[in-house]
Amino acid sequence: MKPKPIIQISYTILFMIPLLLFWIIPLMMAFGISFTDWDYISPSSNFVGMDNYRYIFEDADFMRALWNTLIFAIGSILPTMMIGLGLALILYKNFKGCRLYQLVVFSPWITPTVAVSLVWSWIFEPERGLLNHFLGMLSIAPLEWLKSSDTAMFAVIIFTVWKSVGWTMLFYLGALEKVPESTYEAATLDGCNAFSKFLHITLPLISPTTFFLGIINLIASIQVYDQIQIMTQGGPGGSTTTLLYLYYQKAFQNFNMGEANAVAMIMLVIIVFLSLISTWLSKTHVHYD
Amino acid sequence: MKKNLLKGIKHLFLIFVSMVFAFPFVWMIFGMFKTNNEIWQEPYKMLPDHFNFGEVFANLGALHFETYAFNSIFVGIVGSILMIFIALMFSYAIVFMDSKGMKILFWIVLGTYMLPSAVTYVPAFVILAKLKLSDTLTGLIFSNLASVFAVFWLRQSLLKMDRSYVEAARIDGASHMEIMRHVIFPLNKSAIYTVFVLTFVQQYNSYMWPSIMLKSQEKYLISQGLRQFFIQDGAYGMNWSQIMLASTVAILPIIVIFILTQKWFLTGIKEESGSK
Repeated sequence: MKPKPIIQISYTILFMIPLLLFWIIPLMMAFGISFTDWDYISPSSNFVGMDNYRYIFEDADFMRALWNTLIFAIGSILPTMMIGLGLALILYKNFKGCRLYQLVVFSPWITPTVAVSLVWSWIFEPERGLLNHFLGMLSIAPLEWLKSSDTAMFAVIIFTVWKSVGWTMLFYLGALEKVPESTYEAATLDGCNAFSKFLHITLPLISPTTFFLGIINLIASIQVYDQIQIMTQGGPGGSTTTLLYLYYQKAFQNFNMGEANAVAMIMLVIIVFLSLISTWLSKTHVHYD
Repeated sequence: MKKNLLKGIKHLFLIFVSMVFAFPFVWMIFGMFKTNNEIWQEPYKMLPDHFNFGEVFANLGALHFETYAFNSIFVGIVGSILMIFIALMFSYAIVFMDSKGMKILFWIVLGTYMLPSAVTYVPAFVILAKLKLSDTLTGLIFSNLASVFAVFWLRQSLLKMDRSYVEAARIDGASHMEIMRHVIFPLNKSAIYTVFVLTFVQQYNSYMWPSIMLKSQEKYLISQGLRQFFIQDGAYGMNWSQIMLASTVAILPIIVIFILTQKWFLTGIKEESGSK
């Protein structure tokens, strides 16, 4: 039965209108604006060629934001994935109470980032914060946390790992439950110990999930904004200014739309590039059955 | 014997882990009951002196958070229902009205999946202003309507369905709308509920885009309301106890929904993870 074009259009148009208006057209416009000196207030703008791109690549602030984003991405993704997998390995076999533990670990993920960032700002507070109190109990010297450019990024990473482990754990739980029990039994008969079973059966069989989570977490961490805005506003001294925060400052505080959109285009290129690399990697290293 | 010991160690470890994950919430609740004096006094105190509920309720009245909470819940519910409705129609067309055009359309949508939405904020704001929808909740809902994530999730669920139900209904002369209502909806309830809960949470919590496009205070979502409260206070030194109260109010609706719908969260996401 051949579907009529008019019906096809009527079923897809409601989705395509907002997709075009707020995704595809803005993407093209952002590309265009990145070659101008538009300041948002004046109705006209001049074409300036590659000037914005040339400027930001010579700008120390941009290079720093790029570096900070990289540190944030690596620093938060690796622990999130490892802790998430570790907890999933403990929690995937059904036992009494496992669901409650899962709920507790998952709960930070659903709460508003702004609200929990406020709570953590107090926990990180150098004078009266809880964390320095705990450090004091272990007789470790207190840290400045969010107030020092040496530790601010580290503190933001701790918060981010706390917030995002639950989601990663849940995906790993799903993946582990699907590894057939018979595979493990066969390996036990062959005399494999627990560690080599993990290395040679579990890890390869869950590699599609690892790959998927890697990309999702990477794209999320390149767009980190909420916790930075609340906890540090990019400071102290620019030490937690990430690419998206720089974009926000350039666009909505300095009204330098050209440079802001040039930053946006670079973020876009980075994400497309990483997606392509990981697709290529997944073809060679991921085991799909 | 050895097995029991191992089991005990496992639970001890898990209780420790749970405490690390739950402690910020406990700290928030304690903070709500502490007075400013208690926070600054020596020696350091973890627990508040007393749990004075009357005072907390009085402070709650002074916060005026109900507008922000209402806006967030409104955008969450209306936005998610509309979002799922159009995503379901779109997925239905892609899966059951197979043609070359549909394939091209799906590839366009697939292409936008990985893209960061934040890079479109400046032009998207300009477009909203042109449509006279900036600074309105309608504009916020409209600009979030096309959820590629929802299309992916629902499409996966539709693909797993037995096609013969739809074909049989077509042969019996059912219209596409009737099939959507009587075949697609009941057979994909689980996926629809999961997507609803996830998109609700996402819209309720959203911060960056609403704070760019909503300027009047009475339109703020809850995260913006919290933020403004935090800055306002900053000038006179932190009133942590009020901030903790405000944060609790912001988190509470989400926790209630989470507890009521935990089945969709836990099993829905777990089931989905295998097919990625």
